[in-house]
Amino acid sequence: MVEVIEVRSVSKTYQQPKRFPGVLGALKSLVTPEYTEVKAVADVSFGIRKGEAVGYLGPNGAGKSTMIKMMTGILVPTSGSVSVLGCTPHERRMEIARRIGVVFGQRSQLWWDLPVADSFELHRRIYDIPAARYADNLRRFAELLELEPFLDRAVRQLSLGQRMRAEIVMALLHDPQILFLDEPTIGLDVVAKDAVRRFLAEVNRERGITIILTTHDLQDIETICPRLIMVDHARLVFDGELGRLRSALGSARRLTLEFTTDPGPLPLTTAVLTADDGLLKHYRIERDDVSLVDVLTEVGPGREIKDIALEEPNIEEVIRTFYQRRNTAVPA
Amino acid sequence: MSAYLAFAQSGFLTQLAYRNEVWANLFGKLVQVFARVAIWTAIYGGAGVIGGVSLEEMVTYALLGGAVTGAARYETVVGGIGHALRTGDVAVWLLKPVHFPLYVIASEVGRALYRFTFLVVPTVIFVALFYGMLPPASFFHGAMFVAYWVLALAIFFLIAALFGLVAFWLLTSFSLEWLMQALLNLLAGQLIPFWFFPEPLGAIARQLPFAWIVYYPSAVWLGRLSPEECLAQFGIGLGWAAALAFGVWLLWRRASGRVVVQGG
Repeated sequence: MVEVIEVRSVSKTYQQPKRFPGVLGALKSLVTPEYTEVKAVADVSFGIRKGEAVGYLGPNGAGKSTMIKMMTGILVPTSGSVSVLGCTPHERRMEIARRIGVVFGQRSQLWWDLPVADSFELHRRIYDIPAARYADNLRRFAELLELEPFLDRAVRQLSLGQRMRAEIVMALLHDPQILFLDEPTIGLDVVAKDAVRRFLAEVNRERGITIILTTHDLQDIETICPRLIMVDHARLVFDGELGRLRSALGSARRLTLEFTTDPGPLPLTTAVLTADDGLLKHYRIERDDVSLVDVLTEVGPGREIKDIALEEPNIEEVIRTFYQRRNTAVPA
Repeated sequence: MSAYLAFAQSGFLTQLAYRNEVWANLFGKLVQVFARVAIWTAIYGGAGVIGGVSLEEMVTYALLGGAVTGAARYETVVGGIGHALRTGDVAVWLLKPVHFPLYVIASEVGRALYRFTFLVVPTVIFVALFYGMLPPASFFHGAMFVAYWVLALAIFFLIAALFGLVAFWLLTSFSLEWLMQALLNLLAGQLIPFWFFPEPLGAIARQLPFAWIVYYPSAVWLGRLSPEECLAQFGIGLGWAAALAFGVWLLWRRASGRVVVQGG
């Protein structure tokens, strides 16, 4: 497999002018400006192979957008090297621009006053997309994301969900090899989020387009990205499969048993009782090798169970545990 | 190139979408032009010729003066470029294989062509019916006027783009818009033609690029320049346009470079 993106010990430091209070302070910063250095990305390295879908995850201010900007060539790293499709992005920006697609959740690339279809047409002219290829792509993508009902409507009249679907389609019209998405599902409702996620997963699978997306929403990662890169305080803290993260942390499953008659307190060896509401008992299964059958066997016959609910650890919990452990392990 | 034509076309068509504005704008334009003509009529006050310029010539000058400045808006160019640089929206444009200032200019050219067709030409015809307007001094002068008009539009937008780029360093485009309006009023000859300027102000104003926006096109129409002078001044105007284009290119490179290095 070919590496389409190579990031080698990249750091990005912003110079922020120091502000001093008062008129004299303002004068001082005008005459002898002082700067504080803010590290947005510190010594991050990773490689992404063709056709991968990678989630880039981290809390606010962890340097996610900065990394996307460096990979797309609109920011220059302070040190280290970035290589995208064999080029250094900021040196060959125009060339790279034709081979990648970028979607910003917070910044629209559509033309506000124009109907969606006209924005697409302008995009076709900017990227010189061959007519047949353009028509074919537009038809397929518009169908998958159900754009037809609002293709003729001006962008300013669209709902956020419609607009985001249009943004994503536009970013794909010129057949980019890599698609970067910076928080593509931010502010969307559940239905729109789901449509976007299924579409991205399909584009990645069917067309082999490499996808890198930053997000706050862990569900995005769960449906689209088998691989996860986590950053915190500018540093890379995890790079690997979601499953690996989960098993490394061994997050517990949650089991709820509902009895027809109250069996009284019921401590088990296979699961820990976390809450007891009489008929309803909540357990935590901490070991991976314990199955539901093991637990039910231990509960034993003679107690009539009305309902059982077993919840897999959700990704939010996994990641929260991860960040918590990190913060306690590494002294600030 | 196809992309920039598309931007101009789309600028033209977007204006078409706001058809209702046409009547309000047309009325506003008419009042403006009538006022300008009325002022000159009052100044002449029955005198046929002042300083070698007849009232008819002056009215024609006042009508032609709006041919570019009445159609083209510098605010969108100055504000558009300045705003995109300051808010960081420019990042979106850095991701496209497009030259951003050229994009802003192209779409504004589209809008200017729309206003020229639907606002300026009707206004000029209407006012001309009332006050009379001189035809071009000769066929040559008429043809040269068209060439000068295109050059005027180019210089106008290049200056606006330059102002917009300067806004990136000054962090405000508002004051620059005021400055641009003041310079246009005075140095383009929009309010008063240079032949009424005291010397050496008149001589200086004739050399600055603003002169090609209003003064030279109108002077050419009126035949106040000999054919040789017409061609020579056109050449100098082209030189100014090239210098301004270079300035825009250079400032854009520095401004966008700074965004890229520092993160806006």
